[in-house]
Amino acid sequence: MMDHAIVPHWFLGYNILLELLFFAITLIVAVYALKVYQLSGHKQSKLFGITFLMISAAYLIQSVLNIVASYSTDICCDMQPISPMPAYSLAGIYVHILLYASGLVTLAYMTLKLKDLKAYFLFMVVALTALLVSSNPLFFFYVISTILLIYVSFYYLKNYLDTKKSNALVVFIAFLFLMFAKIHFIFSIDHGTYYVAGHLLEFVAYVLILVNLLMVIRRK
Amino acid sequence: MSKKRGKLQIIYDILSVINERNGRIKPTNILYKSNLSNKMFQEYMSDLIQKGFIVENQTKSGKTYSLAQKGFDYLDKYQMIVDFTTSFGLGE
Repeated sequence: MMDHAIVPHWFLGYNILLELLFFAITLIVAVYALKVYQLSGHKQSKLFGITFLMISAAYLIQSVLNIVASYSTDICCDMQPISPMPAYSLAGIYVHILLYASGLVTLAYMTLKLKDLKAYFLFMVVALTALLVSSNPLFFFYVISTILLIYVSFYYLKNYLDTKKSNALVVFIAFLFLMFAKIHFIFSIDHGTYYVAGHLLEFVAYVLILVNLLMVIRRK
Repeated sequence: MSKKRGKLQIIYDILSVINERNGRIKPTNILYKSNLSNKMFQEYMSDLIQKGFIVENQTKSGKTYSLAQKGFDYLDKYQMIVDFTTSFGLGE
C-alpha cells in the first residue's frame, strides 16, 4: 500500500511549477558540477554532478506525475482522493523515490570522502532495498531522506566553520532548509499544510543553492 | 605556518610553472618550483599527462613539458573551480 501526500486543492498547479523550477535549478547545478569535473578532473565534482542529475530527474518525474494527476483529479474536491492509483503512477512514484534517494546516498557518500566503490554500492543497496520492501515506501523515503540530510547538513556546517566563507554558509543554510522540507513531507501524508510548507522550504533551499552558484560564476 | 596545499592548488602551481615557460621547461625545473617530493611529483605529472592537461615532448636535450588546451582552460577557470568546490564542500 502506497500512501499519497495530501495536496490542498488551491495548491495544485503551484506544486507543479515549483517542482519544474527545482528540476531546472538542480539540472543547472549538475551541469556546472560536471563542467568543473571536465575542467579539473576533480572526482568529488563528478559525484556532486551525478547527485544533482539524479535529484533533477526525480523532480522531473514528480512534476510529470503531478501534471497527469491534476488532469485526472476531480476539481470539486478540496483534497486529492486517497484511492488506488494507476500502475504507471505507482511506478512513477517508485522511480522518483529511488532516484532522489540514490542522489542523497551519493551525496552522503561524497561527504565521507571514501575512495571505495564497494562502500558506495553497499550504502546504495541497503537504502534502496529498505525503501523497496517497506510497507509504506513514501513515508519511509521521507524518513531516510531526513536522516541523510541531517548528516549532510552537519557536513556543510563543518565546511562553513572550516572555510568561514559566505557562500559555504549559504549552502549550509540551503541544506538545512532541504532537511526541514523533508521533515514536513513526513507529515504531509496526513496534513496538506505540511505538503505546502515542504514545497516552500524546498523553494528557499534551491533558490539559495542557485544564489551560491551565481556568486561563484560572477566572481570568476 | 602556511596551510597545506590542496590537490587543486598543487595542479595550479604545476601548470602555472609550465605556463611561465611554455614548451621549454624540464622536469627538474618543475619539480623544484612546484615544491613537491619526487614521488608526489611523478604521480601528479603522470596524472596530468593522462588526463590531457600537459604534453610531454621528447627533445635532443631530454624531456620537456608544455600545456595542452585543457591545461590553459584549467588556469583560466581555476578561481571558479576553487569557489565551486569550496562552497559545495567538495574538498580535495
